[in-house]
Amino acid sequence: MSEQFTDQFVRWDTFSSALWYRTRAARYRLEGTRCTSCGTCFFPPRTGLICPVCYERAMEPYACAQTGQIVTAALDDVGFPAVGYGENLPRIQAIICLDDGIHLMVDLLQVADPALVQPGARVKMVLRKHKREDTGAWVYGYGFVLAE
Amino acid sequence: MGKILRKVMMVGGAITPPGIPMDWTWRQMATEAFWNALKSCGVAVKDVDMVACNYNDRAIADSSPGPQIADALGILPKPVVPIANACAGNGIASYVAWNAVASGRCDIVVSMGFARSDNYDAMEAMNTQGNYVDFDYLMGMTHINYGSMRDSYYRRKYGVGLDAAGQWAYQCNLYARQNPLAANYNKPMPVLEELCADTPEADRDRQATNRGGVASAMVFVGEELARNFTDKPVVFDVAYAFRPPYIGNFFNYPVEGMKEYDMAELPGLMAAAREVYQVAGITGKDIDVLQVHDLTAYEGMMAVEAAGICEIGRGKDYVLSGGMSLESRCPVNTYGGGPAFGHGSAGSDFQAGVLENFWQLRGECGERQVKDAKIGANTSYGTHHSLDVMGVVQKGW
Repeated sequence: MSEQFTDQFVRWDTFSSALWYRTRAARYRLEGTRCTSCGTCFFPPRTGLICPVCYERAMEPYACAQTGQIVTAALDDVGFPAVGYGENLPRIQAIICLDDGIHLMVDLLQVADPALVQPGARVKMVLRKHKREDTGAWVYGYGFVLAE
Repeated sequence: MGKILRKVMMVGGAITPPGIPMDWTWRQMATEAFWNALKSCGVAVKDVDMVACNYNDRAIADSSPGPQIADALGILPKPVVPIANACAGNGIASYVAWNAVASGRCDIVVSMGFARSDNYDAMEAMNTQGNYVDFDYLMGMTHINYGSMRDSYYRRKYGVGLDAAGQWAYQCNLYARQNPLAANYNKPMPVLEELCADTPEADRDRQATNRGGVASAMVFVGEELARNFTDKPVVFDVAYAFRPPYIGNFFNYPVEGMKEYDMAELPGLMAAAREVYQVAGITGKDIDVLQVHDLTAYEGMMAVEAAGICEIGRGKDYVLSGGMSLESRCPVNTYGGGPAFGHGSAGSDFQAGVLENFWQLRGECGERQVKDAKIGANTSYGTHHSLDVMGVVQKGW
């Protein structure tokens, strides 16, 4: 919550607990999927979807690497955050490449010195509080911090 | 590709001017564009066989817009194909309309779109929505975040400076002062040096304006009918392509045509360009005038590259060498681009470019007229370039 807007915003297009529940493995553990036919790994997970490489459908859980490096980063200081994220501005966001080649767009957390946020800098996953959902419950998920 | 049974001719079109009254409903706005498009070419409402119409389902919450649109336009019981695929969805509408005419199923079809983003909180309904909702918007990533990330990455990868971005915005603004349909037609011309500055204000001025509500419509007929409505019909072709919706998968996605690229290129637009050039029987080098959908100067340059007007990563050189101007081999954004037409979104982001090219080929663009233009092309995108559309028009007389 920001100091200016002390009440939680609840809008017509916020999302349901069920949706958060379905994505829990990916959000908590960076669990993607691997095609059992061609071995290609994906994030977000493609459970029940068709592999765009070999056109088969069987997928198995795949634990993505939890370390990687920054590809590019940007400062979000524009002032139009996603619902529930307003108190975090300004935020440093980045495209990162995990050590297994999967790319993510993530928040970089606990950045003491923004000058260290450079392409090639090492990062590691942490579990973080994201936002409150409409019911008031906290939503958790992945975030990244600079690795030592 | 299957057999195309006949050419599709564009005979008329219209777009609503800036400043749509606040008390107009989306039905009124859509009808205004439809009505004026038909009037521009003498097509009667009763003769329209079908309408394909794009809208934004986050701002127009009516769950069944088809019959409402048909009712508003007075064409009941004829079909309306409602399309909700973000900003360039009016490109998909034109694709649906094109197929209906090219196949011979329909003789007269209207492609249209409307955006009444202020039906709800515009920022909430439009801008914050991500592509792959579960893993971007719900994780706090928005349209705006993606745009900032893409621009900074493109700039670094290809060494694009503020001078090129400023020049892009300047040229768009210059054309906008020659286009009465532009949002900034009567406003003071910005100064080039200020547009090139490294300030938040300059960064804002290099981006699209907020035009507000807008609707547009284009009238397509079978080639044998075109002369009944105009002596200057224009041949229309269109194609579109998708790329994976999650932003992380813009990097080296393991699919042919995607894996060589990342966030600094537009492989979806390249695929759409290849297809529409094949259908139209042209190459990128044949294009006399290009309109691109540019919410920022950088993605405008990316679109020029993907359309084949210059090499990938050389958009800045094209701009800085005067490539956008009327004197160049292929002027760019004579309609005024983002600074003039803003984020017309579902209402006009694709069709505004087609309409400008339609008027260019017919010699109706006044001060911004491209001399002897015979082939025009335009690009548009939706949802962070996971949808890219390309249209081509050619003189049909």
